[in-house]
Amino acid sequence: MIDRIIVGLIFLVGLWGLIGKRNLIKKVFGLSIINAAVVILFIMEGGKAGSSAPILEPGVRDIVDPVPQALMLTAIVIGVCVTALALAMAYRLYKATGSFDIDEVRERLDDGHR
Amino acid sequence: MTGIAESIMSPSDWAMMPVALPLLGAALSLLAKAFIKKGPWASLFEYLGAFVGLALPWLALAVLAPLVLSGGSVQAIIGSWSPLVGISFRFDGLTWLVDMLGFSVAGMAWLYSVGAGPKGPAFTTIYLIQASALAATAATTDLFNLFVCLEVLGMASYVLVTSSEKPGAFLAAFSYLMVSAAAMVFFLLGVYGLYRLTGTLSYSSIAAALALLPDGGGYTAVVSLACISAAVALRVAVMPLYGWLPDAHALAPHAVSAVLSGVLIKTPLFALSRFLLAMPGGGMAGQLFGYAGAITALGGVIIALSQKDAKRLLAYHSISQIGYVVSAWGAGVSALSRGEAVGYALLSAAFLHAFYHALFKGLLFLTVGTATDAAAERDVYVLRGAGAILKKSGERLPFTLLSFAVGALSISALPPFNGFVSKAALSYVLKGRWEYIFLFIAGIGTTASFIKLAGIFAPPKRGAGIAAASSLPGYTAKKTVMTAQAVLALACVASGLAGPWFYRFVGRLLSGGHYSIGVLRLYDLDSLLKTGGIVLAGYVLYKLALTGIGKRIAARIRERPRGFHGLFAAFSLGLGGLTLWISFFRFQ
Repeated sequence: MIDRIIVGLIFLVGLWGLIGKRNLIKKVFGLSIINAAVVILFIMEGGKAGSSAPILEPGVRDIVDPVPQALMLTAIVIGVCVTALALAMAYRLYKATGSFDIDEVRERLDDGHR
Repeated sequence: MTGIAESIMSPSDWAMMPVALPLLGAALSLLAKAFIKKGPWASLFEYLGAFVGLALPWLALAVLAPLVLSGGSVQAIIGSWSPLVGISFRFDGLTWLVDMLGFSVAGMAWLYSVGAGPKGPAFTTIYLIQASALAATAATTDLFNLFVCLEVLGMASYVLVTSSEKPGAFLAAFSYLMVSAAAMVFFLLGVYGLYRLTGTLSYSSIAAALALLPDGGGYTAVVSLACISAAVALRVAVMPLYGWLPDAHALAPHAVSAVLSGVLIKTPLFALSRFLLAMPGGGMAGQLFGYAGAITALGGVIIALSQKDAKRLLAYHSISQIGYVVSAWGAGVSALSRGEAVGYALLSAAFLHAFYHALFKGLLFLTVGTATDAAAERDVYVLRGAGAILKKSGERLPFTLLSFAVGALSISALPPFNGFVSKAALSYVLKGRWEYIFLFIAGIGTTASFIKLAGIFAPPKRGAGIAAASSLPGYTAKKTVMTAQAVLALACVASGLAGPWFYRFVGRLLSGGHYSIGVLRLYDLDSLLKTGGIVLAGYVLYKLALTGIGKRIAARIRERPRGFHGLFAAFSLGLGGLTLWISFFRFQ
């Protein structure tokens, strides 16, 4: 049970970063953390049954379910792409406005339009 | 023809082509970007890639048409893996229709971008990847594959939004990315819940495994279903999950706006219907979607009417129009999950409006984009005489004005344009429900708001507005732009004239030939009187909105606070509401 609670806490930390923090970079951190929490959850629960790595060769028995691991590899790759893209956008916003604070960025962009 | 086609490739290979060809095209275009960079050879590879990716899929659709028309479908597993680990997909009437919707707008919007920008192999590469992801989303019957498709679709669209290089577009894309990536994490949680219960990922085997469980999966299944549906609803921009759309669609390049509004918000919706129809409790989720859709249709149009930026006005209309689609779609999913065949008529009307909206909203974004580019002014209250400005920039005949008129008359549902047919189909199937009243009032608002937007082509008042003769920006009319607009305008007229036939065609494809839709009566006195009434009421509403009070209300709505947090609050609200709604009906 304790392991699930820890994963839940990690998830909440990420959510707090994503919503509570005003800094764009910290928001991206938050997103990475909630993504990581779900990955850990999948791997943890998927690895409970079975003990050997799922390499299907003669003599290998009692393997863990390979599907969650394959899914999470994909999810990690997607997470990296999303993080990279978000950081690139944060950088462009900083270049345009000179700030990483989302409220300030919005204000300065609005001023620029008027 | 089918015989020759089958001697080349098997039907299941042909069914992969709408996904594979755009990817191949993207590779060709990427080659130009990576190794050639500039010059005629780079353009050659880029255009070849676009041809392979956007034109050749039509060949595959033509080859597969007889199969899906006869009620058949291709169900296969990519790479012939065992069903336990392979990714399954299904090419049936629904896939065929959604692909057709996607490729018709995507092709024309790309042609427009050749003239009006953004240009270059990098843009074309991302654009083609997006087209491929659209086709893949339409065909997937596997939960995890749906996740990957939605992520690829999203990633391509974030990049395309920023390709206008406006700082505001970066903020819009950043907000869109953040909220939709967070929603996709909840989608993964939903996948986790269902995989834990059933140990499988394809829709049909999940449904089969859940049926064997004593309580049908209990709360875990309900929460998982809600997580997945809410994450998709965010992409569709149903209220209350619409907050990311206006900025993203308004600040993207015009060609991208056309695809985003025309295609991108609808494909996930129709992909979701496969999932909801397979799942227990999916019908209730569909019903709530339908109710939210009716509210969206009205709410979107109220906000649209108060806008002054021309493209933002169009973006809010996209929200409103997707509301029309979702209200019929939701009712259809709900009816089909109860086993009522009338659901096919509802779904067909929803698709008909989705397709017609893709055509006329794509057209509107392109023509309004052309007009605002030529005049270098986007404020609906300031810009006047756009037709004269376009004439000075080299447009000999008023093609843009005519195309805009076709689009505006279509969205306002005037006969014989296509919007008239699809809204008639919607009112025919939704008659007697409360949603119908909402859609009716929304129709009045739509007319009013397009009378307002049409003002940009009105002759300028003396001393006010932009003087057509004064400083013209360096804008010249391009042939590709004109062609793209003309083709879409012709498609709006043709699909309007062929509307009743096309409605039956859609019904036949969606039901696999099991259900035949009654004849749609379009031009009887009743519906013509109703149309006249809507136009009249729309004009009155337009005049009311111009009064002092009307302008104050508009400013109040326009300047309501909209922030980053609102997006997440709305998502939590949607997710919570959906969970409560499904559990209430499942466990009462």
